Parts: sequence; C-alpha cells; structure tokens
Amino acid sequence: MIQWLNDPGNWTAPGGILDQLRAHLQYSIIALVIAVALALPVGLLIGHTGRGRWLVTVANAMRALPVVGLLILLYVMLAPHIHGKGDTVYLLPTEIVLVLLAIPPILAGTVSGVENVAPDVRDAAAAMGMRGSQVVRRVELPNALPLVFSGLRSATLQVIATATVAAYLGLGGLGRFVYDGQASQNYAERNAGAVLVALLAVAADLVLALAQRYTVSRGVSGRFPRGRTSEAADGPGGGDLRGEGGGAADGPPVTAETPPSPHTA
Amino acid sequence: MKKALTSALVAACAVALAACGSSGSSGANGLSTSGGASPSGGGSTIAAKLVLGGSPEFKTRPDGIPGLERVYGVTFGSYKTLDAGGPLTVNALKNGQIDAGDIFTTDPSIQADGFVVLQDPKNLYAAQNVLPLINKAKATPGVTSTLKAVSDTLDTSTLTTLNVHVITDKQDPAAVAQGWLTQVGLAKHGTAAQGVSVKIGSANFQENVLLAEIYAEALRDQGATVTTRLNIGSRETYIPGLKDGSIDLIPEYSGVLLQYFDPKATAVSSADVYAALQKVVPAPLTVLDQSSAQDKDAIVVTKATADKYHLTSIADLAKNG
Repeated sequence: MIQWLNDPGNWTAPGGILDQLRAHLQYSIIALVIAVALALPVGLLIGHTGRGRWLVTVANAMRALPVVGLLILLYVMLAPHIHGKGDTVYLLPTEIVLVLLAIPPILAGTVSGVENVAPDVRDAAAAMGMRGSQVVRRVELPNALPLVFSGLRSATLQVIATATVAAYLGLGGLGRFVYDGQASQNYAERNAGAVLVALLAVAADLVLALAQRYTVSRGVSGRFPRGRTSEAADGPGGGDLRGEGGGAADGPPVTAETPPSPHTA
Repeated sequence: MKKALTSALVAACAVALAACGSSGSSGANGLSTSGGASPSGGGSTIAAKLVLGGSPEFKTRPDGIPGLERVYGVTFGSYKTLDAGGPLTVNALKNGQIDAGDIFTTDPSIQADGFVVLQDPKNLYAAQNVLPLINKAKATPGVTSTLKAVSDTLDTSTLTTLNVHVITDKQDPAAVAQGWLTQVGLAKHGTAAQGVSVKIGSANFQENVLLAEIYAEALRDQGATVTTRLNIGSRETYIPGLKDGSIDLIPEYSGVLLQYFDPKATAVSSADVYAALQKVVPAPLTVLDQSSAQDKDAIVVTKATADKYHLTSIADLAKNG
C-alpha cells in the first residue's frame, strides 16, 4: 500500500489520486454548501421561534436511511429521464444522498445552539431595542456558532466518508480506488483509497476547526491570548454576553465552548 | 462587544462566501469530470469517438481494454467505470451515457432493448459454452444422453429469451424450464435415467438457477429422482460440494471453469476450451457434452450506433470513421 501511494504515477495520472481527490472534494463541498444553505436558516428559525422542532426529529430519522439503497433507488428513478453524455444522471442521486446525510447534524447543531442561548442574553438584546431578525443575526447566531460548527464538522466528516459511494455509480472520487482495487483484486490500491478518504476527512475537520477558531467570538468561546485570560474575562470584553446573567446562566455558551478548546492548547 | 460580534459575522460571511465561490467553480468542473475516464487516443477511428462502459476490472483485465487494443487495435475515446454487465451499464447504454458496453451475451436487455452484440472473430473473449459438470458416478448413459439432448437444443438466443422470462418478467425458473422443454419436445416421459438419484446445484445467479431447473426437469422426465440445491454461491463453494458428494451436478461455463482448474490455460475457441477442460477436470468430476449457448463478455452497442457506423464486429471499431 505504501508502495502504491509512493508511486508518483498513481498521483498525477489522469484519473489518479489528485484528480480523484479534487472530484471527491467537489462532491463533498457541493453537498455541504447546499445542506448549509437549507439547514442553517431553517435551524435558526426553529431555534428562534421554538416552533417546528419536529423537523429536527424528522431530519434525524432520515439518518437511518441506508445510503447505498437510496442511491440506487434514486438512480433507477432518475435514469429513464436523463439522456445523453455527461455525469448528471450519476451526480444528481449522489448529491441528493449526501445532502440528506449532511442536513441532520447541521440542523440539530443550529437548533440546539440557538435554543441554548441564555434567555437573559436574548432578553437583553430585546431590551436594547433589537428586532427579531437582529436578535437572530447579532445575538443568537454568534452565540450558537460553536454548536453550528460542531454540527457542520460532523456533517463534513460524514459526507467526505460517504462520498466514497459516488464511485459505485461510476463517478470519480477517492472511492474509485476502493471499488476498482476490490474489483481487480489490487488490495494495495483499495486500502490506499480507504486511507486517503480517512486522511481527507481528518484534514477537512482540521480546516473547519481553524475556521471555527477565527469566526467564533472570543466572548463566546472564552479563548483569549495567553496571559490575558483572567484580565480579559474580568474586563468589559470578556463580560460581553456572559456578564449579565452571571454564574449559572453562563451554562449553555460555556459548555458550547468545550469542543474547540483542545485546539487552543 | 458589538465589534467582536460584527467581526465574527464578517468572518463567518467571508468563509461562507469563499466556500460558495470555490464550490461554484468546482461544481462546473464536477459535471465534466468523469470518474474513470482515461485519456483519449486512437486517432480518428470509430472507437475513438465512442465511450465504452463496463466493470471496474475491465480497465485492467487482459481481455478488457488492453485486450481490445492488442487483438483488434481498438482504443475507445474514453472508458466509463460502471458495473459488471449490470443495470448501470445497461441503463447507461440505453440512455446514451455510453456508446458501447461490456455486457454478457445472454443479458435479457440485448433482446429487450434491441442491442447489437458485436462479433468477436478473433476470440478475444474465451468461449463460455454452457455444459453440465457432473460427478462421474452419476453420469450414466441415460443421464448423459438426456443432458446431451438439452445441450444440443439450447443456443445463445434461446437462453437469452429464457432469461428475459426469468429476469425481466420475474417468472418462476422451474415453470420457464418446464415450458421450454415442452415447447421443444424434450418433455417426453421416458425411462432413460430410471433409478438414478441426482442432487442438482446452481450458482447464485438467475441464469444458472434456470439452467439447473432445465437439467432437473429433463432428468425427472426420464425417471431420475432429482433434488435441487439452488443458489449455492460461487465456484469456491460448490466445486468442493461436488467433490464430496453434497451435490452431483451443476450447470457450468466452459471458459471460466477451465480458468478455475487451470489458471494458466490459454485456449479461447469453443473446441479448444472444451478439449482442454476435459483434460484438467479432476476426478471424480467430469464435463458432459457442451451446448452452443454461450454466456460470455461481449462489446454491445445500440442499434442506432451499429447502423450509424456500420458495425457488426469488434474489428469494425478500428476502422476510420
């Protein structure tokens, strides 16, 4: 396997690792962008209004759908309607499956993120004269961001791992190596494909962790430059949104910060 | 406080926009990047204008893409990795995602969708004649002559038609077998196989089950006591079963069976494969007379493509068009 990975021809050839890596990322990013575009606004709305929580349950139930079965079902349903060259007939079922897979964690993360914003923080925002949409955009979303990110990261992990099935429908992606290696009994190729998928998933998670680090407000994450921690926490900056409630009311945002903290070390 | 939030929002938007931007551009490429496409080659031949689709292993198999090039000088414009003669390849051929497909000669879609099987005059694909693999102890003259009559009557297009009944129309294989035997006059009751008890097995795919049912019905009509154990699995499972007597008879295909017993075998024509096979089949097994029906790989095109380029043989693909 190491030998297979070390062969430069396997990387640069047409249909080689670089090509398939790009294809794999394309399938994953398209699915994630669509999923975020759908799940984030809906999640904010559900969290803000407290209505339609059943949608989260429904979305979570969708996670039980067997991916390969759904993929084939969608392909069989779509195939008679799409004619001519091109990969649309394969791309469409693949993206639908991946989007369905990515929605539940993002939706659940967003909803619980917004729901866990301390009520007094929300009240304070209203008391300052913010309208509903302003509260969502300027208070709830920033405070919910750590949980939104945790949903997004778990969705990303799952989508990248699952995008392997694209190869099942004759598309590219790193799954190509897994399926081709298995079919032609080239087990080095198959194993290398599996390892590459895992590495890509971990790499993507690191990138998102970094993005999270730079987008989540310090007031929410409680992450301050070394040495300034205590000072800032006491100061006006650190008091930001947590000060008002004091003590126990800090609960939700503080728990939300736990995932990113290992990365700060 | 406001500043922190605003900068967080701006950063979040920036990241989101960046993600959208990159996916937008990559989305466009995504549609044109085909999975296992290989670089085009072959100049201005007919094949160079066509997309071939088939199984993942076909790309590297000696009688796959390398074989097409070596034996016929045929290089397709690109290759689309799909499945081994399954629904993906058949649908892709039907709906025009590929121009030619590697599917099996008895696939029901050949009749259902009017595909044209390109001739293989140079025997790129080894012969795969249907034949009974049997335990010698059970191969009495009566059993042998009964199965010979079946093999003599069956041919590739008949088997394809029967596959349409079983696979496409989902009819009961036993009923289809009985119906066909009656239709061709082989269902006459006799005593040729009287007193013999035969356990018939089959591999786990529809056509093989159908063949096993045909053997079973034919032998029953001749007075044999028949039990069936269908859908056993792959060769690795049922060959040991034949040797130890758990089953006595199974429908097989000459080329793959030869490869199984002798991986270095090079015979390709029907007669050569059969002759070689008779030498390598280990006791207590033996093969009986083979049928002209063959279930082997074939390069298949749609009627429209065949007419457009005047294709009847794989060799025609190497012509300039």
